[in-house]
Amino acid sequence: MRASRAILVAVTAAAAGVTATSVVKKRRASAQDHDGRPHVITVFRPYDELKAEQVPGSLAELGDTVEVSLRPAPADRGTEISVRPRDGSPVGAGDIRRALRETRSLLEAGDVLLPSGPPTTKTTLLNRPLQAATEHGREGGLL
Amino acid sequence: MKALQWQGINKLKVGEVPEPELRNPGDIIVKVTRSVTCGSDLHLLGGYIPFMQKGDVIGHEFLGEVVQAGALVKNHRVGDRVVVSSFIGCGSCWYCSKELYSLCDNSNTNPALTETLWGQAPGGCFGYSHAMGGNQGSHAEYIRVPFADVGAFTVPQGVSDERALFASDSASTGWMGAELGGVQPGDVVAVWGAGAVGQMAARAAMLLGAERVVVIDRYDYRLDQTAKFIGAETLNYEEVNTEQELRERTGGRGPDVCIEAVGMEAHSAGPQFPYDQLKQQLRLQTDRSPAVREAIHVARKGGSVFVLGVYAGIVDKFPLGAMMNKGLTVRGAQMHGPRYIPMLLDRMAKGELVTEHLATHVMPLDEGPEAYRIFKEKEDNCVRAVLVP
Repeated sequence: MRASRAILVAVTAAAAGVTATSVVKKRRASAQDHDGRPHVITVFRPYDELKAEQVPGSLAELGDTVEVSLRPAPADRGTEISVRPRDGSPVGAGDIRRALRETRSLLEAGDVLLPSGPPTTKTTLLNRPLQAATEHGREGGLL
Repeated sequence: MKALQWQGINKLKVGEVPEPELRNPGDIIVKVTRSVTCGSDLHLLGGYIPFMQKGDVIGHEFLGEVVQAGALVKNHRVGDRVVVSSFIGCGSCWYCSKELYSLCDNSNTNPALTETLWGQAPGGCFGYSHAMGGNQGSHAEYIRVPFADVGAFTVPQGVSDERALFASDSASTGWMGAELGGVQPGDVVAVWGAGAVGQMAARAAMLLGAERVVVIDRYDYRLDQTAKFIGAETLNYEEVNTEQELRERTGGRGPDVCIEAVGMEAHSAGPQFPYDQLKQQLRLQTDRSPAVREAIHVARKGGSVFVLGVYAGIVDKFPLGAMMNKGLTVRGAQMHGPRYIPMLLDRMAKGELVTEHLATHVMPLDEGPEAYRIFKEKEDNCVRAVLVP
């Protein structure tokens, strides 16, 4: 039982580490990491409304470093927002993912949810990669 | 304030932590009056969900009193007695507009973790790891509730704390299994697991018009509770062959709807249990799913299987052939609380849905670690342990 638990602990830590490391790596992605593909998100707001207004929040803050385009989503699902960094843009993929998610939240819910606080956790050797990942939780993933 | 904190695999302690703060204008702070253990917490304790940090406050099924409200909160005032959905929905995204609240696009502050694992990120949940947003849990004196106008509901007068508490998760999860599993009047429904969620799923199936409901477990004390308080038929899988028995009780057809309320640490009869357990501990699979396997095999042709139990990753020996060739509908979900809680509170007020019997143990928050030990070991006929801060 003790041995199996040790395996469980090791594999669990490894799994957390791998996922967290992958998230952190993606966060550190710089403009050079871009393969030219756009980052796309769907916002549940009508296309006609959004095309008439300036996109808000952190997506607006990216300014001219990125190319933003809108198109209507099928079946009244809202508007697809596509963002592609311009040539030589200093903006990383993580910045774009965060900007898209925060902008969607602003446009839909009127706010961007903050994590619980103050924190109740302690940093340990095992959870340091997870903490690093969650500090930038909206920057990673597949978006 | 005091809170029950995860300290590592199978380690809990009651510690002092800072009181939660309003972080967004749609938040409320709730003084927790009751918070209950859940079988899905055992996956966190056992280390099966590797996104916990030392010091995390656990607990997601709770009820309490509003003590602070953010500037944009409209539906709640200080002093309101509220029960809160364990999953958090913003109320405004496409998923929330379809009442699929646990799939909310805006309530998980760490979407990268689950998006990487599962392809898309579900919404946030209280006290259920950083993969689900890292929201502090309810086994504490106070808790912050985001998007409170969507997920918190005032408990009507006449419904006791003891009853309303289970609208927060168990009853809404159970109802979801019966409703989204497609229970129709006259159906025969089989439910795997006679814990709180399984019992609530059985009751929901009966209220939706099922003709026969059979609940399967290995603990007689849970099955006795199910028969006495829910009124469903029962079956102990250690005493009879589940498949044979279900075929016999359904005229050879198999159940119309099968609801799995067990989860990733399921037990089973026969050699498949040690096989599954070994593979899980060696991480050749992350979850054990014998109840899902059995449900798919025994379901009637063209029937449905709804997975309510919590799973995290990969299972082995999934009977894809049976699913495909029998034309089954297999579906699952985390709970869409706000879709059901108002209706459940109404039914609780009318006496159609009783839950008090589920709280077999009521203990002070200080005894949280012992409450989980009793709950995990199924000691003293424990179904659920309720913590009172």
